Amino acid sequence: MLEQSNRALKLVQLNKVKTASKKPRSNRRLLLGSILPVSLVILWEAASNMGIIEAHLLPAPSAIIASLYQMVLEGTLWGHLGSTLTRVFAGFFIGTFAAIIIGSLVGYLKIIEELVDPIIQALRSIPSLAWVPLFILWMGIGETSKVTLISVGVFFPVYLNMVAGIRGVDRKLIEVGKIYGFTSFQIVRRIILPASLPSFLTGIRSGLGLGWMFVVAAEIMGASKGLGYLLIVGQNTYSPDTIIGSILLFAILGKLTDWFLKVIEERSLRWQDSLANQH
Amino acid sequence: MLSVEQVSRTFNHKQAGLIDVSFSVEEGEIIGILGTSGCGKSTLLRVLSGLDKEYTGKFSLEKEDVGMMFQEPRLMPWLTVEQNVAFGLKGDQKAIVHELLDTVGLSGFEKHYPKDLSGGMSQRTAIARALVTEPEVLLLDEPFSAVDAFTKMQLQELLLSIWKKKNTTMLLVTHDIDEALYLCDRILILKGQPGVLAEVLTIKQSKPRDRTDPDLASIKAEILHVLDLRETAS
Ligand SMILES: Nc1ncnc2c1ncn2[C@@H]1O[C@H](COP(=O)(O)OP(=O)(O)OP(=O)(O)O)[C@@H](O)[C@H]1O
Ligand SMILES: [Mg+2]
Repeated sequence: MLEQSNRALKLVQLNKVKTASKKPRSNRRLLLGSILPVSLVILWEAASNMGIIEAHLLPAPSAIIASLYQMVLEGTLWGHLGSTLTRVFAGFFIGTFAAIIIGSLVGYLKIIEELVDPIIQALRSIPSLAWVPLFILWMGIGETSKVTLISVGVFFPVYLNMVAGIRGVDRKLIEVGKIYGFTSFQIVRRIILPASLPSFLTGIRSGLGLGWMFVVAAEIMGASKGLGYLLIVGQNTYSPDTIIGSILLFAILGKLTDWFLKVIEERSLRWQDSLANQH
Repeated sequence: MLSVEQVSRTFNHKQAGLIDVSFSVEEGEIIGILGTSGCGKSTLLRVLSGLDKEYTGKFSLEKEDVGMMFQEPRLMPWLTVEQNVAFGLKGDQKAIVHELLDTVGLSGFEKHYPKDLSGGMSQRTAIARALVTEPEVLLLDEPFSAVDAFTKMQLQELLLSIWKKKNTTMLLVTHDIDEALYLCDRILILKGQPGVLAEVLTIKQSKPRDRTDPDLASIKAEILHVLDLRETAS
């Protein structure tokens, strides 16, 4: 889990560097970047049509699209998409909310840190998927256990980044607030929170990534709806088109939601003196 | 109004900081603090501002409304220039902020973020932030160290005009002897590591002063002598 959140973190940093490119060059990038995937898809389609690739293992791209389209026509796709999205968002918000509250207290108050941080660190070292049986035992196989599992996944990266962000706030800036006679609450609201915003945003982006990972786990464990459930259906009915279709949808949704957070990040961090903000 | 009695604040087993500093300040006085680098000038201001409570000795300050300008700009990087200047103000007082920004030569840069400012511009923003709340006591730590000679003179005039209007008490740390001679009623000279108060010089000339006054030049010679520098070294 730690490794995964680290990877998510690195990804965020990579993305930041990427945005440093200028507008005219981004078209070129798009073009260059799409050459390989587009030709692969064409090759794949051609190979499938010529029977080089066996359709029961890897169906042609057109077959995958067709099966997705079939689900759109039947009207079942929206239900699956909707319940997966609802679970991710519910888990994301609950996990983030808890991380903000606990993270702020731990970051700001030494005594709470000493009280709470050791146990959180201990819980963190449990691979989060190990919670699954326990959650199912406690909360049944319904929505509650799924959303709880996703919240747990989202909680840790947001919490860690939140605490690190608050710890990293420049003492010198806090002193400015003290000179103006700010109360502790004012110092938190006007200095500590804005100063730790970059770290917090990094946290929620990796949190969302983990949220998507955990929704798959939760839905594979047992669900009657959702993209993860489609994966299982595809496995049980020997239909690789359904499996690959769901994987594709996971990729698209994950990318879209991350892009959304990235836009928010860029908007709210324009003040940052970073590589990404060079022009 | 301010009386300081044998205040010491030391670091590194009394190898650095300042020791046994005593002086008092009347309301409306401008006190200059001179001394070589590392002799504890910033430390003294931090103690008096209440940020550093680990001192020994005692001091009493009769005013609550104390403003401070740090040696570094310490701007909030997420706020624009005008928001930074308004940082300590209560309520929306755009007019005052813009007037002051104009005075320090920053009109047109209201919406810039600190990352886009030069060193001197950051420092002027910090000056505006310290002055805008019009505190009764101002602690200024090398406020004009990063601006050019001409701007510096203008900012010195700004300080004088504020002093005239509000009778502000000021403690001004500076490395510029001419600046201290131009602005201050008394000059404290700190020396050594840890720093001790070596000398207090009184300047009686009324303000505004003539920068070329020969009497001031003779006080300058005295200061250089106290600091163990020959006059040519200035
Ligand atoms: N928090 C601290 N911990 C340890 N040593 C410190 C601390 N603050 C200051 N010092 C030491 O105290 C001495 C005086 O520092 P101070 O910042 O007051 O010097 P200064 O007179 O303002 O110098 P300058 O003119 O260069 O600004 C220095 O030797 C410094 O290393
Ligand atoms: Mg200093």
